[in-house]
Amino acid sequence: MANTSGLFMSVLGGAALVLGVAYGWTARDYRIAELDALTERLAQVERSNADLADKAEQATALEARLSTLETELATALQAVEDAQQAETAPAVVPEADAETVLADAGDPSFGDPAKGEQVFGQCRSCHQVGQGATDRIGPHLNGIFGRRAGAHADYRYSENMQMMGSDGLTWEIDTLDAYLENPKALVSRTRMNFAGLKDPQDRSDILAYLRQFSASPQNIPEAAPTAQPREVDLAPEVLAIVGDTDYGEYLASECKTCHQQDGSDKGIPAITQWPTEDFVVAMHAYKRQIRPHPVMQMMAARLSDEEIAALAAYFAQTE
Amino acid sequence: MKLNRRAFMGTGVAVATLSAPMVHAASHGKPKVVVVGGGAGGATAARYIAKDSAGEIDVTLIEPSRSYYTCFFSNLYIGGFWEIENLAHSYGKLAADYGINVVHDWATGVDRDAKTVALAGGGSVPYDRLILSPGIDFVDGAVPGWDVSAQNAMPHAYKGGSQTELLKAQIMAMPEGGTYVMVAPPNPYRCPPGPYERISMVAHQLKANNPTAKIIIADPKESFSKQALFEEGWQKHYSGMVTRIGPDFGGGNVTVDPAAMTVDIDGEVVKADVVNVIPAQKAGLICEAAGLTDGNWAPVDGASMVSRMDENIHILGDATNQGDMPKSGYSANSQAKVAAMAVRGALTGSRVFPAKYSNTCWSLIATDDGVKVGAAYEPNEEKIASVSSFVSQTGEDEAMRKATYEESIGWYEGITTDMFG
Repeated sequence: MANTSGLFMSVLGGAALVLGVAYGWTARDYRIAELDALTERLAQVERSNADLADKAEQATALEARLSTLETELATALQAVEDAQQAETAPAVVPEADAETVLADAGDPSFGDPAKGEQVFGQCRSCHQVGQGATDRIGPHLNGIFGRRAGAHADYRYSENMQMMGSDGLTWEIDTLDAYLENPKALVSRTRMNFAGLKDPQDRSDILAYLRQFSASPQNIPEAAPTAQPREVDLAPEVLAIVGDTDYGEYLASECKTCHQQDGSDKGIPAITQWPTEDFVVAMHAYKRQIRPHPVMQMMAARLSDEEIAALAAYFAQTE
Repeated sequence: MKLNRRAFMGTGVAVATLSAPMVHAASHGKPKVVVVGGGAGGATAARYIAKDSAGEIDVTLIEPSRSYYTCFFSNLYIGGFWEIENLAHSYGKLAADYGINVVHDWATGVDRDAKTVALAGGGSVPYDRLILSPGIDFVDGAVPGWDVSAQNAMPHAYKGGSQTELLKAQIMAMPEGGTYVMVAPPNPYRCPPGPYERISMVAHQLKANNPTAKIIIADPKESFSKQALFEEGWQKHYSGMVTRIGPDFGGGNVTVDPAAMTVDIDGEVVKADVVNVIPAQKAGLICEAAGLTDGNWAPVDGASMVSRMDENIHILGDATNQGDMPKSGYSANSQAKVAAMAVRGALTGSRVFPAKYSNTCWSLIATDDGVKVGAAYEPNEEKIASVSSFVSQTGEDEAMRKATYEESIGWYEGITTDMFG
């Protein structure tokens, strides 16, 4: 009985071993199959991804082509339209060109030159622009766009302005806009004694106005010279007085209590090397209280025409 | 410019030789100008005479301090808007660039007959023309209980330099909620808006560092310079901090006790942490020593700032009794140019033009809140008279006040360059 039982146990054990091994093989095969399937799937996904990249490339190429075609179409349409306009109203063409150029200047909100001309009124006591413009207290502004800062020959700029030019500052819309907003923020010791134009529209307008007097880009129409009305109407004989520089030197000692003798500007504007006529006009404008500053009104109030001429003559020749 | 001046001076010397030979005979060579006091009046006068005479006149400047600390803008240092170093100026350029003989010594007296100035360090300096610009000294016994020996406990800070630093240090060390008392001076005194600008600057410091502290002004004057502007500013920026006791409430009846740090204002005793005593003032002592004063001040003729008591001595600035001009650095600087022209004219025959004077005083009330007052002056037989004037208005916008402050900085640069080169 024990032997039968032992044999039975052995058979059972052997069957279990066979079954176990068979199971082991089966499980291995199953995993291999599964791995093969996954590998196949991975390969599919990779192929699919490659297809997508190809398709994206194709899409980009197609879009570029479409864009080119659209541009060509638009140009063709514009050419047809221009041709039609040229047939019907040829005189309009230069204006249309000018507008196109201004719009091309980069900013859709680019200003109104007519308004800019009015805003420029506050610059005019120092700057001229237009035909025949010359350097006055400030440099003339013909061709200012695209010019290096501090680079206009014959004008004596502040050291800081020259340095900014050497460092690469060039007058374009964005740099002029920043300078006009706050001159001393951009060029800390500029001789331009102007607080700045805070209204962005004023700046756009003034730049649109100035833009007309710059040569680049092409096709800017020749604008009329700016009117140069004097702040005060002075008789020719007043402007013709030749100042006594010795007397001017004495009178100037009073100015030098506040105004820097080296022409620098710290809270109080520089007054050296002004054109004589501008100096005379400015002092008479203070004397008649057209210019607002109370100290200057007081100082100018008691100066005779000869004394103003003497001061102008002295300061025009200071180094 | 230089050629012009040389050519012009050549003519001037020729004229002087013909018309005023006595001057040259008396001075053995080049005419000599001695200037006593190197502040806004004296430094400017010395510089202009040396500069414009281009070597024709020997200029000696006698000034005890080696560094000059301006009194103007010292309030801004107290308020934290200005560095002490920026108040200090050297006499180096006057010596090196203008050839002025700068003598660091005290002038103790003037022998007007011998035309010499005595020095504390011994010896004396001869002059053909003397210019005195000594500034102020304090009237003895003006504030009972206070004299110069008490100026460490109760600083005046009304002459620039160490006193200014002392006062600021005391203000910064005040206990929380402490009391600052100013004993304000009677008219006339140096820098009419000065005490009230100082109040503004002290209030500015205390508002930031010690906001419960109190400021009391005992004032013998009914009214003061730029009063409406200061009072508007104190109300706006330092509401409730500043109390002014005018003469109606005994502000002119003050005794101080420096040992106890108390101020008795018309019988009411205030215990204070800082007491800023600005006593009544008089001309710098040398004027009295030279016998050139009438009362507390030295009378001058506004045509050339020449003493009414000695035709060879010109007196400038705070020390003078000239008429309507305030005692200010600006006034002294303006007067110096007239005197310099007159002295050159007398010694070298250079052209002399009619005197014109002006003054502007800027004051800072708070950050970027500057105000100003000014006038133009011309001499008549009796005095220097105001011919026109202006003052900042209450209610001005912030941009204008800021521009006024920036203008004052420009003026500081301008006048200190005009004084020291």
